[in-house]
Amino acid sequence: METAKTYEEINQKIRDGDVVVLTAEEVAGFVREKGVEKAVKEVDVVTTGTFGAMCSSGAWLNFGHADPPIKMQRVWLNDVEAYAGVAAVDAYIGATQLSESEGMEYGGGHVIEDLVRGKEIELRATAYGTDCCPSREIRTTITIDDINQAVLLNPRNAYQRYMAATNSRDETIYTYMGTLLPNYGNVTFSGAGILSPLHRDPNYETIGVGTRIFLGGAQGYVIWEGTQHNPGKAMGTIMVIGNLKEMDPRYLRGCTIHKYGTSLYVGLGIPIPLINERVAQTVARDEDQIKTNLLDYGVPRRDRPVIREVTYAELRSGKIEVGNKEVPVSPLSSFKMAREIAEKVKKWIERGEFFLSSPMELLPRDTIFKPMRQVAEAPLVRDVMTEPAITAGPEDTISHAARLFAEREFNHLPIVDEGGKLLGIVTSWDVAVALGTGKKKLSEIMTRRVITASEDEPVDAAARKLEQHNVSGLPVVNAGGLVRGVITSEDISKLIGRRVK
Amino acid sequence: MSVKMLLKYSAEALDKPILAEVIRQTSAGINILHAELNATKGEMLIGVEGSPEEIERLIDLFKGRGVDARRLERTVELDEGSCMDCGACLSLCPTGALHITEDYSVKLNENKCIMCEVCVPACPVKAIKVFKPF
Ligand code: SF4
Ligand code: SF4
Repeated sequence: METAKTYEEINQKIRDGDVVVLTAEEVAGFVREKGVEKAVKEVDVVTTGTFGAMCSSGAWLNFGHADPPIKMQRVWLNDVEAYAGVAAVDAYIGATQLSESEGMEYGGGHVIEDLVRGKEIELRATAYGTDCCPSREIRTTITIDDINQAVLLNPRNAYQRYMAATNSRDETIYTYMGTLLPNYGNVTFSGAGILSPLHRDPNYETIGVGTRIFLGGAQGYVIWEGTQHNPGKAMGTIMVIGNLKEMDPRYLRGCTIHKYGTSLYVGLGIPIPLINERVAQTVARDEDQIKTNLLDYGVPRRDRPVIREVTYAELRSGKIEVGNKEVPVSPLSSFKMAREIAEKVKKWIERGEFFLSSPMELLPRDTIFKPMRQVAEAPLVRDVMTEPAITAGPEDTISHAARLFAEREFNHLPIVDEGGKLLGIVTSWDVAVALGTGKKKLSEIMTRRVITASEDEPVDAAARKLEQHNVSGLPVVNAGGLVRGVITSEDISKLIGRRVK
Repeated sequence: MSVKMLLKYSAEALDKPILAEVIRQTSAGINILHAELNATKGEMLIGVEGSPEEIERLIDLFKGRGVDARRLERTVELDEGSCMDCGACLSLCPTGALHITEDYSVKLNENKCIMCEVCVPACPVKAIKVFKPF
């Protein structure tokens, strides 16, 4: 495609003070009114922004040498471990690493925010000691000003777009997409939609290695494609770098995703030069043209079922339809902050404080995101459950159950109706407790709100249910509610025993 | 005006239809937000809509029947300096007390809050505080 203007021409305009910059929201209106051709002629740069939890973030730190020297083998910052498998006093603090004393309340993301805020950080390190670096332990406090380099280096940021999440289960679940209420009670989504940097240049014509960007309040760079970069599926990502010492805690916030873990909210913005008409076209697309899938996070598998397709415009409206009910929607990333970042980059460029850099190399457009190679398939509930399950009816007697438990040596008796549908469960413990109380029928002692498993659920997911609900067995039911078997903690221990062998 | 009140029932007052009686004698709107009633204790959180005089009178009506009624000054607080306007709390708030404005700021309408505390742990930066009186 014919180039309308070069980076050098745009930078000259910035120097001359007559560059024309619009935010991505503004340019959409401009193109709607005046068309793409006019946009390429009259607008030089479009600014974007996003502000969301980006788990794949962290910082390289160099502490300088102690006396006597130490070759740090393990390092903790405010009790959060940093990776130290590099030279003596370098370490990488990752956003999702949890505090060893405070757990999910404090993690690597918080350490990074506290560093940027100039707070004192407790540094602890251990080592095995060598002839040149004999020290085996160190405890001190540092601030960001005391250390040599502090470099934010995030392997995967600024997802072009992301899936929206909901939950089909009848219990609340806590995911990296936030708290998801039972029975499709809410929907969450992430990403800045119309302001999303990578979605404004989805053909990757202007973003590449060396693109200067807004990162955490400072000027940083794109250094590579991000991990899991998947532009073919409109799921591109970037790897970015910037000087943590210049950053602003307004745009880097440590956070806790409830019962999931810690992370870091990162503010990031990319200016997109309108180098040709195609770029002008994609940069101006409205939010109703940005689609994503609403997935059921109630299914703990890699391939989660798609509930429906949604646009960012629908998600942004705060309510969407799922099934035939209207469900409230939460964004997880801040549109207000995304806007603020796009505005800020615009101001920087207009004031001549930010110049565009021509990428050394554009990002690949053909990478794919492969699943993990697993040499053994994850076992499913159907592989380890006891089947067929021994069952009883609600009208059967407690002594009948007592006999069954004694003769067949098991502990979980699903109670079913004539059609085989699950009504409740009675355990050998329930029976033992009930004997001598005068109760007769199983319906009097059965637990009616039963936690169940499904046949094609991974054993790990069933094990988590056992643990969370503090029970020792789950009836396995199919989609029609028919009991197919029972899975117990004993079945799972046997499996683990086999795995260890 | 709209306020929240904590009612503490004495053991003797527990089995009497006090709330119904009081509601009949006042023009203030009363909304039960939360109740914990059992054999030994009774506590109820109510939202009241009415003039300041009416609210004062309401407190006397309760007190006259052995129910200690107290106006709650602080119920819930959104620390706007810390809030990132991310919106994670929005779809969890059952009453719309937490809501988003036209410029995408997240705001809290204290009057609508029923102090359910769902938003408290769900906020990634712990910007919401609920002052539960019990
Ligand atoms: S406690 Fe939080 S979630 Fe509950 S009503 Fe109040 S603001 Fe909404
Ligand atoms: S979840 Fe917390 S930070 Fe996000 S908008 Fe709500 S109060 Fe603000």
